[in-house]
Amino acid sequence: MTVATTGGDQAGGALERGGGSLADVVETVLDKGVVIDAQVSVAVVGIQLLEINARIVIASVETYLRFAEAVDRFDITPKNQKGLPDLVEGASGAVGKGKAMSGLGKAAKEISGAVVDSLGDRDTDRDRERPRRRRDKER
Amino acid sequence: MAEETGLFIYGIVPADVEPTADAIGVGEPPGEVTAVRHGELAALVSEVPLEGPLGRPADLTAYQELLDGTAAVAPVLPVRFGTVVTGADAVADLLEAHQDRFAAALDEFEGRIQYIVHGRYEEPALIGDVLAENPAAAELADQVRGQPAEATRPQRIRLGEMISQAVELRREAENRQLIEELGGLAVATAPRVPSNELDAGSAAFLVDRDREDEFVDAVEAYAEQRRELIRTRLLGPLAPYDFVSAHQLVE
Repeated sequence: MTVATTGGDQAGGALERGGGSLADVVETVLDKGVVIDAQVSVAVVGIQLLEINARIVIASVETYLRFAEAVDRFDITPKNQKGLPDLVEGASGAVGKGKAMSGLGKAAKEISGAVVDSLGDRDTDRDRERPRRRRDKER
Repeated sequence: MAEETGLFIYGIVPADVEPTADAIGVGEPPGEVTAVRHGELAALVSEVPLEGPLGRPADLTAYQELLDGTAAVAPVLPVRFGTVVTGADAVADLLEAHQDRFAAALDEFEGRIQYIVHGRYEEPALIGDVLAENPAAAELADQVRGQPAEATRPQRIRLGEMISQAVELRREAENRQLIEELGGLAVATAPRVPSNELDAGSAAFLVDRDREDEFVDAVEAYAEQRRELIRTRLLGPLAPYDFVSAHQLVE
């Protein structure tokens, strides 16, 4: 196979640096930090805080239906294609667009590159999946 | 000006830390950030009105930016968002009462900074993967694909449940790998709870400043290895939000 490591797969390309979105801020700082309890002999003032709840993952029927819907949405069809693991073992960025995941073990090796390719292109909008703020009462 | 105010506490720092003039506090309009000093310690504070709630996005952002900005130059102990005391005397009392603990904690954070590594599965790749290794799920996928949702609801629930369980197992494994691969470059690690059903590995790392580059390189390698399946993000450098639990004052 031709190894063309300059094809946009340089180290660093896969990692996003960031933060700064409200969701990130909420997840980073909420419920963290030293707690100064009222027991401490300090005049702590009860101040009204807006209700901000980081979303907690609870597997629910809603989650299940959403996953099932994703199967439809992306038209995900697994194609078992044996023989790929060999390629994956030696994966450099050039094993094909799909395949730089040698660290993932069997499961990742079984998926066919073709499936990954066809799906990868469709999945352009991840923002939809950002954690939502959700009030417990609604659950 | 009859409005009552309190002091919002951001964090505890060594006494020689000086807030810069451009530091933006919480509240609207934003309060001026000052340091209340007591002995070797100081607390970063700003005045807030006691009426009116806090917690707007701008408040949270101001809180985080101030702490992260401080952490970049000095050790800082974040105080939980929303902590407000009556005034400077109360701050001094607090610093006095917990002097030794605060000082010890600050020593621990000297020259160290927090990073958060957060992975999110790429849904199509993830589901394709799960279906490939689970014939029963693949069979159900065939049954529901293209069918009206109402007509295939039980199958959909079962399929979604299988996917959900598979994701949970993967997340656990991914969390272990994350700590395994990167933990050696950090002084301490702290797991983080998932906030989304597509979350992969997620953890906080307390990193020595002089190993920062090495750590970031390792995170890049981690991300690269998983790029088709997991979208990996690195948040930081941050104040050590995830490493102060040992210093909580609740007795």
